[in-house]
Amino acid sequence: MIQYLASHGPGLIHWLILSNVLFAIGIYGLLSRRNAIGILMAVELMLNSAAMNAVVFNRFLAPKSVDGEILALFVIAVAAAEAVVGLAIFVALFRDRSSIDVNRMDSMKG
Amino acid sequence: MIEQAMATILFYGFAAAAVVLALAVTISRNLLRAAVCLMGVLSIQAAFYILLAADFLAGVQVLVYVGGIVVVIAFVVTLTRSSQLLMDHPSPLRMLLAIAVAAGFAGVSIAALWMSALHQPGMAHSTMDSTRAIGLALLDTGGSGYVLPFEVISVLLLAAMIGGIGIARKTPPPDQPFTSGGDRSGEADAALPKSQRPSRDRRAPQ
Repeated sequence: MIQYLASHGPGLIHWLILSNVLFAIGIYGLLSRRNAIGILMAVELMLNSAAMNAVVFNRFLAPKSVDGEILALFVIAVAAAEAVVGLAIFVALFRDRSSIDVNRMDSMKG
Repeated sequence: MIEQAMATILFYGFAAAAVVLALAVTISRNLLRAAVCLMGVLSIQAAFYILLAADFLAGVQVLVYVGGIVVVIAFVVTLTRSSQLLMDHPSPLRMLLAIAVAAGFAGVSIAALWMSALHQPGMAHSTMDSTRAIGLALLDTGGSGYVLPFEVISVLLLAAMIGGIGIARKTPPPDQPFTSGGDRSGEADAALPKSQRPSRDRRAPQ
């Protein structure tokens, strides 16, 4: 049993399939949600799975370097900046029209 | 031997948990519950980084995502009263289209992966100290260094912080733009009942 488990560890393709599945779930959330915060959460899911892809490729194909990990670091930093500005926009929108339903956000002029 | 078996068990266990929690993030009607599930997904992602021997990244993931972004998201969910409105159920057509797009993406990309030459069996064992290597690479001014993007990202974070404050702060009254008077008069008005508050609407009545 232990021998079987040890010899069937996750290979590169298993990691990639995992991050693909997480990304697809993010796409589903992005398209089906109507609340803007729900959409932002789905985007965070997608960003995360993409950053994980970079680390996975780094570890499997170029184990001597850390370029993929640094790319993931930058993705995390940009995601933080994006979340801050996006959430500030949602707060301002909610103050203006008491709703953050994206179906009703069809005009940029208050 | 036993370590590799443990790694296999941990990978598949965490993978199942991550997929279930991610589905909960996208399906849950209550956005506050979705935020908590998002916290779970991001923590599991930190566990994946540890399995991939990226310890520093796991720490950053917990600090920035779990400790920062999810908390801000939870604050905004309560500020915009999104968890009480519960208006977030998609129409059947929209849901069907979203499922079709997501399943199409997953099907095509997984099929492409499966037919590709990426069947590398195992992870290369590295005893390298990746934290040290990341620190050196971030401050390396040479051709393969990352000191310029590192500085650019600090400017981006500063700009995002200023932008966030500027966008979310209360708008000042029309006669005194660019002062903090708007905030102060808003606080004073809050003591009055709603009907007696002076209108602070910026738009002139037509």
